[in-house]
Amino acid sequence: MSAPSIPLEKTPGWISCPECEAACRDRALPRRAALRCVRCGVQVRKETGARSFQPAWALATAGLLLVALANANPVLTFDVAGNTQSNLMVTGVLGLFDQGYWPVAALVFFAGIAGPALHLAAVWYVAAACCLGRRWPALRRAAKFAEVMESWNLVPVYAVATVVAVVKLDMLGAVAWQQGALWVLALSLCSLLVVQFFDRDLVERCLEELA
Amino acid sequence: MPGGIGVTRNEQDDSRRLQTAQALVIAGLILYVPANVLPVMTMTVVGDVEPLTVLGGVQELYDSGLWPIAGVVFLASIIVPFCKLACLSWLLLMHGSPLWRRQRGALRRIVHIVGSWSMVDVFLLSILAAVGQLGVLSSVQAEPGGLFFAAVLVCTLFASESYNSHMIWRTREGVAA
Repeated sequence: MSAPSIPLEKTPGWISCPECEAACRDRALPRRAALRCVRCGVQVRKETGARSFQPAWALATAGLLLVALANANPVLTFDVAGNTQSNLMVTGVLGLFDQGYWPVAALVFFAGIAGPALHLAAVWYVAAACCLGRRWPALRRAAKFAEVMESWNLVPVYAVATVVAVVKLDMLGAVAWQQGALWVLALSLCSLLVVQFFDRDLVERCLEELA
Repeated sequence: MPGGIGVTRNEQDDSRRLQTAQALVIAGLILYVPANVLPVMTMTVVGDVEPLTVLGGVQELYDSGLWPIAGVVFLASIIVPFCKLACLSWLLLMHGSPLWRRQRGALRRIVHIVGSWSMVDVFLLSILAAVGQLGVLSSVQAEPGGLFFAAVLVCTLFASESYNSHMIWRTREGVAA
């Protein structure tokens, strides 16, 4: 078969599968129905009906606020023989840095603090532009950045690690949950929900409309 | 994430991505040995010094009767990194083959989603290392094993990021039918 001058998936009525890049014929779908790729079986497009970017925008705004709260409040306090220490999320990063393990400290900082903040900020920027119908600069790049940073928003993993840490520290001394733990939990839930509402097809369609 | 927004790819790019993924997986396999053999941290409780490997930390939790927590840490810190390296190695060895492409695609997605949970141990180390500031009574000192463990995770995270899902569908002759 000779290669066409314009790829099939770029022609009207055809879309590219996000998994295997096969050209799939687009068609009108009933609400909540999904179009699947015949080759790899992955969902190519889902009819979302009246869904908009408002939930993603609201969750990203709440998430950014929670990032600030989770980082500003101590997650737990640890007490051994009257010596009490409050632990913020950043205390662990500084502890590793002080012990000379700066690559591990950098990884924890990036995946636990910077990653979630950058992911939510990117989602906020794209969702806000789509909601307001504004052609803000570098929107496509921000959408791609949000997609990449999604893998680095590891606050839910941090929340599980906190539970394990409390169990371990309980063997060494008196450990108590603090308000920050609640914010970390809320941020974890918010991050998981943002991913559900920040729909890639919706982003693509919105960016095409704004262009 | 599979696919991407506004990305143009070519075969040269794919070949570079494949080589990067292969190099990272080989590095990950090499680093996996010291990551599990060397102690990740040393816990000192009122003069009692105890070096702990990744498996030692799980054993300690299990011995304390906290087997559900021990199970979570065992799954996240030992099973997940090992399976991720094994799955990525298999995916890369099968690259260009027309066999089981759907299954390989599904496996790549699972590896990508589940893989980040092995960060539990690194976060745990960071939270416990903060206790090191309490001085002689109780301290947790990070050890080189932690560095190797973190390096394994970085290698596998970037390898699965580098090996794009669409590359599974490329045969040695080009794009699969």
